[in-house]
Amino acid sequence: MSKKYRQWVREYQDQAWTVARYILKDAGEAEDATQEAFVKLWHNRDKIDPERVQSWLMKVTRNGCLDRLRRRRDNVEFDESYMGGEVSGPMQGAAASQTREWLKRAIGSLKEPYRSLVVLRDVNQHSYEEVASMLELNLAQVKTYLHRARKQLRKQLAEVRP
Amino acid sequence: MKEFEDKWEDRINALLDGELSASDAELLKAEASSDQALARAIVEAYQLQQAMNSIKVERAPDSLRKRLRAIPREHRPQTSFRWLQPRWAMALAAIPLVIIAVSLMQPDKPSAVEVAKARQELAIAFAYLDKAAAITSREIESTVGQTMADAVTDSVDRAIKTQSSDAKEKKA
Repeated sequence: MSKKYRQWVREYQDQAWTVARYILKDAGEAEDATQEAFVKLWHNRDKIDPERVQSWLMKVTRNGCLDRLRRRRDNVEFDESYMGGEVSGPMQGAAASQTREWLKRAIGSLKEPYRSLVVLRDVNQHSYEEVASMLELNLAQVKTYLHRARKQLRKQLAEVRP
Repeated sequence: MKEFEDKWEDRINALLDGELSASDAELLKAEASSDQALARAIVEAYQLQQAMNSIKVERAPDSLRKRLRAIPREHRPQTSFRWLQPRWAMALAAIPLVIIAVSLMQPDKPSAVEVAKARQELAIAFAYLDKAAAITSREIESTVGQTMADAVTDSVDRAIKTQSSDAKEKKA
């Protein structure tokens, strides 16, 4: 079983780390949150359907990160209608690497659940169905929220691009 | 208006996700050719998608990789086989020793036959003792009585001798 766990670590550690990094925006705390999620995975390794380990792990990682945000009284809101907020940054004529860094910050500035949706779907490349399972939403909700998040990013990107 | 925009969003995203059928894609393009806002939205969506494609899953730092690999070693199950820990093993090993020691300290209980035999032997022993005591007593009495008689005889003899000698002296 330890062999199986090691395989899961190899396959999912980067994805879990990416989710934690975007949500928490703090490397040390993201490491702790990712480790906690894998400790839970280790303790529940016999109970989890191997086919659903990835979804389970991403959900646990995200929930752990959100708990941490709540504890530190960060500004986490589950505002479904939220479409405001801007990321400042000079992007006129920006190179691709600058655009990438700007976009990372822009994703990090999204509110929940938009941020998690973009990270899971557009960064980690999970399917809509997987994202729905991870966030315990139905497929229609996932698409609606994700489209809103993308629209916000799209408009911000258009403003900073030539 | 919002419903109309949501419809756009769904179709634009479906187009970018490759989920729009060929006929629906053609319809969207035809609509965009006559709607500048829709055309701009499609272009911006493509630009965002290109930018998104440049963002990859981040590699977990080595420190985290090390921590994750150490989890099985640091979180071994402790509920099973707890009794195999050294202190419990020692306690278990001590149990037979305690039982042996306690059994050695307990006096053996004689059987009923042994008790009866011991009583019989004790009765015989006491009978011998009584007999010996009686004989001894008689010997003592005899010895003491003779001694006392001798003592009295001696003292009387001495008294008589003394008196007779006194009488002779006076006569003389």
